[in-house]
Amino acid sequence: MFQVEQRGTGVAALRRGGPGLARALHGEWTKLRTLRSTGWLLLGLVVSSVGVGALTTWSIPTGCLDPEARCREDIVRIDLAGVYLAQIAVVVLATLAVTAEYGTQTIRATLAAAPRRGLVFAAKAIVVTALVAGTGALGVLGALAAGRPLLIGNGFTADAGYPPLSPGDGPVVRAAGGTVLYLVLVALLCLGVGLALRHTPATLATVLTAFYVWPVVASMFTGEWGRWVSKYAPMNAGLSVQATERLDQLLLRPWPGLGVLAAYAAGCLLAGAILFKARDA
Amino acid sequence: MSPRDGFSQVLRGEWTKLITVRSTVWCLFLTIGLTVLLSILGAQGSSTDVGAAPQRVLEDRSHFMHQPLTGDGTITARVVSQEDTGGWAKAGIMIKQSVEPETPYVAMLVTPDHGVRFQADFTTDVAAGASGTPAWLRLTRSGATVTGYTSPDGATWRQVGSFDLAGPRQAVEVGMFAATPPSGTRVFRRGGSTTAFTNYEPSTATFDNVSLNLAGGGSAGTWKSETVGGAMPLPDGTNLVGEASESGGVFTVTGTGDVREVPFTERGDDDIVQNALGGVYLGMIAAAVLGVLFVTTEYKTGLIRTTLTASPRRGRVLLAKAIVLGVLTFGCGLVASLVSLFGTRPIQRDHGYVPPYYPDPSLTNGPVLRAVLGTAAFLALMALLGLGLGAIIRRTAGAVVVVLALALVPGIAAGLLPVEGEKWLSRVTPLAGLAMQQTRERWDNWVSPWPGFAVACAYVALAIAAGVWLIRRRDTA
Repeated sequence: MFQVEQRGTGVAALRRGGPGLARALHGEWTKLRTLRSTGWLLLGLVVSSVGVGALTTWSIPTGCLDPEARCREDIVRIDLAGVYLAQIAVVVLATLAVTAEYGTQTIRATLAAAPRRGLVFAAKAIVVTALVAGTGALGVLGALAAGRPLLIGNGFTADAGYPPLSPGDGPVVRAAGGTVLYLVLVALLCLGVGLALRHTPATLATVLTAFYVWPVVASMFTGEWGRWVSKYAPMNAGLSVQATERLDQLLLRPWPGLGVLAAYAAGCLLAGAILFKARDA
Repeated sequence: MSPRDGFSQVLRGEWTKLITVRSTVWCLFLTIGLTVLLSILGAQGSSTDVGAAPQRVLEDRSHFMHQPLTGDGTITARVVSQEDTGGWAKAGIMIKQSVEPETPYVAMLVTPDHGVRFQADFTTDVAAGASGTPAWLRLTRSGATVTGYTSPDGATWRQVGSFDLAGPRQAVEVGMFAATPPSGTRVFRRGGSTTAFTNYEPSTATFDNVSLNLAGGGSAGTWKSETVGGAMPLPDGTNLVGEASESGGVFTVTGTGDVREVPFTERGDDDIVQNALGGVYLGMIAAAVLGVLFVTTEYKTGLIRTTLTASPRRGRVLLAKAIVLGVLTFGCGLVASLVSLFGTRPIQRDHGYVPPYYPDPSLTNGPVLRAVLGTAAFLALMALLGLGLGAIIRRTAGAVVVVLALALVPGIAAGLLPVEGEKWLSRVTPLAGLAMQQTRERWDNWVSPWPGFAVACAYVALAIAAGVWLIRRRDTA
């Protein structure tokens, strides 16, 4: 009979109050990495960012190139339109990171091994954030790279007043970086909702509805009411960070818009964390 | 096993499963509840001020080839040809109080679909004969009365109607005119904004045998070509302005606007039935989730093995599920539609959507009935789509995501595509089925009702067919 006891695990660790952050991170990373859907979702994130962005960029109408028309297309925002599809991958990833454990009841094993729930919560959040941020950045850069030749090919050149898309420009940095931040905030929001609801389809339906149905509902309201409802829709608010033209016509300016989404995410995270700590597994 | 293996037994089994599981009953209630709730919220949040507009809204933009007339006189002309740009395109002769828009007039005119007509002051309208050019027209001013005549050959004239216009000695304008009805809405998207405007197709008419006889003797003056109301600039940069010319006694007049009173029902452009049934956007999510859960919980709990053991003919199991789910969701959808439609009507009325601009919808009206039944059918289709995708994917999360993504994502990203792209996209998504809710023509109806419904049915048929095929080949894992 032999006992293999690594320093961070086992009964000795539990006597010390549970594994440290490093061990918890390692555990969460292992869980997420070995879930088969993770790889596919991250691939889907990148492919949809690049693919949809390329499609919308390629089909920008050229009417505004005419100097008489006196209008400007927001080429950066249109190029980053892949986020509408990519955020679904993020939603599913973040939701499964939490609710899959409840579905299969492995949450009991997780919390038995790591009784400090705040630690488990932090570890999940950090791992998901890192994954989403990294892959999101890949997707955004890919979209910019794919859109650049398409724009030049369609006539949106520096001569026409549209400098080529480069990750160095101020507005492009804000739009692209803001999009990655947006995806991270979406993931954190889902984490919170998932911990609160603990049920995969309920979480998915709630989050997807809040993001996709809210703007449609807002369009059913007219006048002031409609503008107010549309202004604070999580997706509309968050994606105002992508705008590089007509900023004065936005319902919310870029950073305040992202701030609204951050507030939603913080609220959901707080609710999820409190319920996670307070409830039974 | 055969006495127990009939299809009706399978149906009964699925029915029991559906209505005894608490989560599915919840979903059915949510379908109804969310639909009605959102419809009511939508009605509360929308208002219109169409009733605040002036009692009469007039369109007065013909192209007028005219000259002044003081005293009595007669104008006669023969309309040789008229371009058919719509059933109510107008070409003929007119005596108008002045060239200022919205001033009274009397006209004898021809239309492509409604024959020769006598019209006066935007409201009087008398039919005077069959369509077809050439047509002989005459207007005679005598004192304050103007009388209209038509003739088959230019010799025998038949009186059609008369109207009092201005004082006996007051100067009026007399001449030929051409007008064209609105030809539809044009949409373009540029620089992040979408603009829709009413477009007019110019209509050209030619006149000959034009003669103006003045009662006090004297000869006719020179004709002046003018568009009543001036040129109309369109949002896409073009200008709608008519023109007229004369050559060898033949006058060619091209009109780019209409002369009429806008009817009450055309004053507002909201589709109140479609708005009232807008709650379906939330209800369809509950229905789709219900459809998914109906299949995937069996896989998750392993009950699928019992089900397929009891009914080895697997295709029938899925079909029985589809029938039971479809019927139940259709029933709930019908309740939701009716409650939404009639429950929001008082709220809509409070917010300005009153007759005569927006008459009360009634189920005896074809499009309204189609909207109500179509919404219920759409909810059933969404549930069945969830069922099919659940049978294909067998995982709750995956199926829920796919069905919601299919339903929700295209509509959101559509605003960033050009108009053609949005049109195409709206025709290939399952949400094309919502076109059944349309009860009036609107520029943003990209899909027609029945083709849209067919698209939604195609998605469902494909999903369920694939589900049946897969369930028969795969293991019950």
